[in-house]
Amino acid sequence: MTMTDRVARLRQQSLEAVPTFSTERAELITEFYAQNHGLISEPVRRALAFQYLLEHKSIYIGEGELIVGEKGPAPKAVPTYPELCCHSLEDLDILDSREKIPYKVSPQARKVYEERILPFWKGKSMRDVLFREMTPEWKAAYEAGIFTEFMEQRAPGHTVLDDKIYHKGMLDFIEELHRSLAGLDFYNDPQAYDKQEELRAMEIVARALIRFAERHAEKARQLATQTDDPQRKAELEQIAEICSWVPAHAPRNFWEALQYYWFVHLGVTIELNTWDSFCPGKLDHHLLPFYEKGLADGSLTRAKAEELLQCFWIKFNNQPAPPKVGVTAAESGTYTDFAQINLGGVKPDGSDGVNEVTYLLLDVIEEMRLLQPSSSIQVSKKNPDAFIQRAGRIIRTGFGQPSVFNSDLIVQELVRQGKSVSDARCGGSSGCVEVGAFGKENYNLTGYFNLPKILELTLNNGVDPRSGKQIGIQSGDPTQFKTFEELFDAFRRQMNHFIDIKVRGNQVVERLYANYMPAPFLSLLIDDCILHGKDYHNGGARYNTTYIMGVGLGTITDSLSAIKYHVFDQQNLSMRELLQLLETNFQGNERKRLMLVNRTPRYGNDDDYADSLMRMVFEAYYQAIEGRKNTKGGEYHINLLPTTVHVYFGSVTGATPDGRKAGMPLSEGISPVQGADRRGPTAVVKSAAKMYHARTGGTLLNQKFTPQLLQDEEGLTRLTHLIRTYFKLDGHHIQFNVVDAATLRAAQANPEQYRDLIVRVAGYSDYFCDLSKTLQDEIIARTEHTSF
Amino acid sequence: MTVAEVLEEIERDLPFYEQSGGGVTFSGGEPLFQPTFLAALLQACRSQGIHTALDTCGYASWETLNRLRQDVDLYLYDLKLIDEERHRQFTGVSNQLILENLRRLSASGHSILVRFPVIPYINDDEINLRQMVEFLSSLPQKTPVDLLPYHASALHKYHGLGVAYRLRETPAPDQERLKDIKSFFENYGFNVRIGG
Repeated sequence: MTMTDRVARLRQQSLEAVPTFSTERAELITEFYAQNHGLISEPVRRALAFQYLLEHKSIYIGEGELIVGEKGPAPKAVPTYPELCCHSLEDLDILDSREKIPYKVSPQARKVYEERILPFWKGKSMRDVLFREMTPEWKAAYEAGIFTEFMEQRAPGHTVLDDKIYHKGMLDFIEELHRSLAGLDFYNDPQAYDKQEELRAMEIVARALIRFAERHAEKARQLATQTDDPQRKAELEQIAEICSWVPAHAPRNFWEALQYYWFVHLGVTIELNTWDSFCPGKLDHHLLPFYEKGLADGSLTRAKAEELLQCFWIKFNNQPAPPKVGVTAAESGTYTDFAQINLGGVKPDGSDGVNEVTYLLLDVIEEMRLLQPSSSIQVSKKNPDAFIQRAGRIIRTGFGQPSVFNSDLIVQELVRQGKSVSDARCGGSSGCVEVGAFGKENYNLTGYFNLPKILELTLNNGVDPRSGKQIGIQSGDPTQFKTFEELFDAFRRQMNHFIDIKVRGNQVVERLYANYMPAPFLSLLIDDCILHGKDYHNGGARYNTTYIMGVGLGTITDSLSAIKYHVFDQQNLSMRELLQLLETNFQGNERKRLMLVNRTPRYGNDDDYADSLMRMVFEAYYQAIEGRKNTKGGEYHINLLPTTVHVYFGSVTGATPDGRKAGMPLSEGISPVQGADRRGPTAVVKSAAKMYHARTGGTLLNQKFTPQLLQDEEGLTRLTHLIRTYFKLDGHHIQFNVVDAATLRAAQANPEQYRDLIVRVAGYSDYFCDLSKTLQDEIIARTEHTSF
Repeated sequence: MTVAEVLEEIERDLPFYEQSGGGVTFSGGEPLFQPTFLAALLQACRSQGIHTALDTCGYASWETLNRLRQDVDLYLYDLKLIDEERHRQFTGVSNQLILENLRRLSASGHSILVRFPVIPYINDDEINLRQMVEFLSSLPQKTPVDLLPYHASALHKYHGLGVAYRLRETPAPDQERLKDIKSFFENYGFNVRIGG
């Protein structure tokens, strides 16, 4: 462990800080909207709002900090976005008192909401408008838990930065947009005026960020005059100099590069509550030139670079995700905000991208052991095994980071979606497992889709047994189906019906954001918004993708397998008997339930009977969504990941034919049903690889190993072989929990002794004690591999 | 089960063998107790280019071994005790056949890894160790040696089958002792691993 006293102290402060509900941003944005700006365009209004926020928000520089700037007034003081989602007083009480993922709400904050925020925004926020605009069919499906809606409390973001800020200052961006302005053709382009407004807005926000940094410089200078410590005085003066230089100009050194990114990060996440916050992406690639230059001219040492990176890491950890409520809290119940630093992979020319900074960052990840930022290794066949093994040494310490991605497949996925090869190579993974062309793509995850629930509706001819309402189509009385194919066809029609409903909703939501919530600052950063004079939410990005994420693949596969095997092939059960078992939640029929659990060919065992059904489901889901047009000139694609929604979806789904009882969690990601994989990790990997990963924008495979399995070098070598083989078979991503069930049970019983136990949940890690009891149980139930 | 069925099962792991340079290990029980089936499987693997290892105690006729030895890429050869009487006492049979088979395999140039299960009070004494070294040094090829520390994981299985477990009192060898045994072999020029 190499950590300076400074870093140890800042890290400890970050760990101990309690997430609090800050009203600062809510107050400022309300003040701004309360002013009469007369008739101005929406992009300019949002730009002026951004300027107002950055001009008036409090400036925080903590003792000993080297990287400065906070999203709220202090570390873990979390801002809110009432223009997107205006929390009610009841929400505030829930946030303050709920057992998991609470945010402390002071009486003062409650009063501010009651007196100023709520009267202004209640019934008028994006969330209110969005729900008002949805059709009754959409609402019925949403309430039944068939799908979720990502944009009901948070804005589209889901994007990552490329290398542009490392060679361009905000002044250069302004010059670029002036060129765009100069090129507007008012005679032939009917949109020229709209573009002019968007570009004007971008200039306002670029200047606002420069001013925001200058405010930090002023604060640092002021603090420098107040300190008696000559070393700190020198540091503060240097911070002031850095903040006066970046982001106005391109960074000149390692420190400036990090500080510049951090201002950009704050800008994006203050402008709107973007999903997955924001992320520097391939940090090892971006920092390498600064690192090499610093070492060469003697202005930087490895130790200094390490300390700066550690300070940078702590900054991410200081920013819990803004408070979520309702279904969004259930589908994404975590403080983590999903910034995922990518390491390794390939360079734009396709060559091995692992470098010295990659290893330096892995050291930082291991030493910091923080929830945020998340990290991943991007493994290409061109990368050395030593890279995987270095990461393996961190994985085996059991905090779920870094996750492991198939860099070569990601390039294939992006190219299949229509990106150029070089843009694809500059891409990677973000959030949980989703892929994007960094710096050039708007890729939105719009909601999870509950696949087992579709089967439940199919088995009830479109009626949701929970509510007794006919919410689906009448796809046929299942007892009349003569073949499995008839049943599957009904399932497919039912699924298409709900995808139609979801897509119709999405088209509206996308336009709501385009019309009312332009994001000129984010637009500044993503190609080709400046070139096109178009907003990020309005098709300005070079590539625009809309995703709907399938959930419960293991559960749906095993359920279909149980029906095909026991009802149609072996005729152990009639359809009527099966339906009765499901309706009664297997009450008094444990033997039949165990037959379904134990005598069904199940996904995750390299058994083609089950795996071919997984492929059928995948294909049907893909066909239902792939290639539909979104409103931004792009297309829909699919991916398969759950965050924590498999618990929520499970809670609204009755008993399933695979023997799962009503209300229990679904399987997560593309992992087999918890405990259904009985033939070791190689069989899991073989089953999962039968999916056509290249047709997705991300899949998530979780594996759980006992610590003993990876304790020696041989274990690491085997882990490397497992990863390499999965990737040779074109798997997208794999991640590992290295902790035994006994430890998890002990933590459940005595949480106070296991406060620092971190586990892998879905595409992110979290403190075990912060997870809901159901999610804890689900993780314990995942198959634990004791051998390869 | 047919040879084809087992082969199909083996072939499922081909991508892993190719990645790791590994292959299939035939163990038991004692695979040489089913020589015809084993020979057919080994041959099938050979024709598919799959690396094969045979985990055996070596207690089989030379004719049996001779019939299949060309299709085995690596022998994991158990060696427990050199003294014939003691071998008989603990295993119920003489070890002459075992030692002779090992010598012949070695003379024929096969790859062999000797596996020595270290069982406290039974075969970890100085006399047996010295005899092991003498015997192994007398073989035409020098073979590496894996020390397999005794463990009691079979206890539950015996219990479940209603068979008396007679090593109930035997402890696992301690790490220091294992390291001593390792250096003892190493002093005679053997490559030794603990575990494996």
